Amino acid sequence: MKHLLLILIYKLLMPLFLKIIGVKVSSKKPLPTLTPYIIVANHNSHLDTMALLSQIPTKDLLRTHPVAAATYFGRNNWLSILSNIFVNTLLIKRREEGGTSDALELISQYLEKRHSLIIFPEGSRGEPEKMQAFRKGIGVLLQKHPHIPYVPVYIQGTGKILPKGERLLVPYDAEVRIGEAIHAQSKEIDAILIEVQDAILALKDYK
Amino acid sequence: MLSVNSLNEIQQMILVIIGVLVFASTLFWIMRKIKPGPQVDELVLRTKSWWIMAGIFITAALVHPGISFVAFGFLSFAALRELSSISKNARIEDRSVIFWAYLAIPVQYYIAYMGWFAPFLIFIPVFMFTWIPFLLVLKGHTQDIARSMSVIPTHLMLTVFSISHLAYLLSLPELPGFEVGGRGLLLYVVFLTEMNDVFQFTWGKLLGRRKIIEKISPNKTWEGFIGGLLSTVAAAYFLRFLTPFSAEIALLAGLLIACSGFVGDIIVSAIKRDFGLKDTGTAIKGHGGILDRIDSLAISSPFFFYFVYLLYYVR
Repeated sequence: MKHLLLILIYKLLMPLFLKIIGVKVSSKKPLPTLTPYIIVANHNSHLDTMALLSQIPTKDLLRTHPVAAATYFGRNNWLSILSNIFVNTLLIKRREEGGTSDALELISQYLEKRHSLIIFPEGSRGEPEKMQAFRKGIGVLLQKHPHIPYVPVYIQGTGKILPKGERLLVPYDAEVRIGEAIHAQSKEIDAILIEVQDAILALKDYK
Repeated sequence: MLSVNSLNEIQQMILVIIGVLVFASTLFWIMRKIKPGPQVDELVLRTKSWWIMAGIFITAALVHPGISFVAFGFLSFAALRELSSISKNARIEDRSVIFWAYLAIPVQYYIAYMGWFAPFLIFIPVFMFTWIPFLLVLKGHTQDIARSMSVIPTHLMLTVFSISHLAYLLSLPELPGFEVGGRGLLLYVVFLTEMNDVFQFTWGKLLGRRKIIEKISPNKTWEGFIGGLLSTVAAAYFLRFLTPFSAEIALLAGLLIACSGFVGDIIVSAIKRDFGLKDTGTAIKGHGGILDRIDSLAISSPFFFYFVYLLYYVR
């Protein structure tokens, strides 16, 4: 039932909606199917999650979870239920909000169940169209699961369509560039972070 | 009401469109085989958008004329979106005002559909021209406000007001003794404008030496311009069965379309160059290049429209 709903939203309605408001998605290669991976993207707008979910292969929609902050999307019961049904989120607590390493533990469990994740390592949408420093979590996960690849994604322009704290959606041309799934080469957490960040920024420049 | 006669007109027109498109597609395909290059790619892209336009045109002719208005509305929308996105002159604070600019599109096309001539003339140049600056004032970000005040209405003029004239051609009342009607005029101006671009390009490739405005558009040459103009005037003469024009008027119309199309082309080129989109050679990915498709049309359509209007509808 939920799967059907997700297909309806992300495979039928969302592509049309994205096209109208000006979000263009391009990928070098289609995303892998039926294997776990972590999509890692810079973050400017709620639209980022929508655009990424619209690219997930139909079969995998139910087992792909955007990782989101519990304090935001779980601030009341209704919101957490809605974000579970419509966005299939995995809610975690940020460390500064009383979260513990249990959060990473929980994410790891999903990866071990062969689910895929969408992670925005900047942690929040921040100022429109400005990239912030990455948080450690993605490095920890990739270090712990070296066999799981990450898919770098560079997103540009969505922060103009629907920036943080705004309700009015205004069409602009925006772009979501999806790279190829790769395994982290480094072993150290900090080195992995740099590697992932470079992979995302490399997408910014390709034509 | 469809009489056998008018049905035949439509069928004729559809045949002409498909014939020309097949010819153009084959020609550019061969050109690409012989001498590949970004400019030929541009032509191939052009033909693709012509096929889409033709598809919409034919569907509208056969199903419901309203389809054309919606399609032109979307064209304006996409062009306005592209222009607002590449513009470095509109501020991020202007988002909500730009939203109002988008809202003007359905209004303008509804007016065109209803054939309300005076509202059609004043809605954007008078009302939106005031409403946009007024909203900007209410928002209260005074830094660079004068720039936004001039830029947003200009964008509306260039992408919405201009293109809506193509749609309004379909709402013009029928002229006695001229059954093809607005559809013929629409086809005539779109076809000649597009062909003029191609003629200019081809003559420029063949004979082009003297640059017209090297800083803006290095590929534009006097030879290309004159060759294109003469070819367009000839085409205008031979296609006058789509219009109520006499031979002399058709020649004038060809001249007008060739010149105004050229002006539109270089105006948009200059805008793109200002935003740093020309020097890179290829347009930045993600910016769909819709402006490149409508550049000459944005100027030739209103000029052609008022040419027809002043000659045939003013008593």
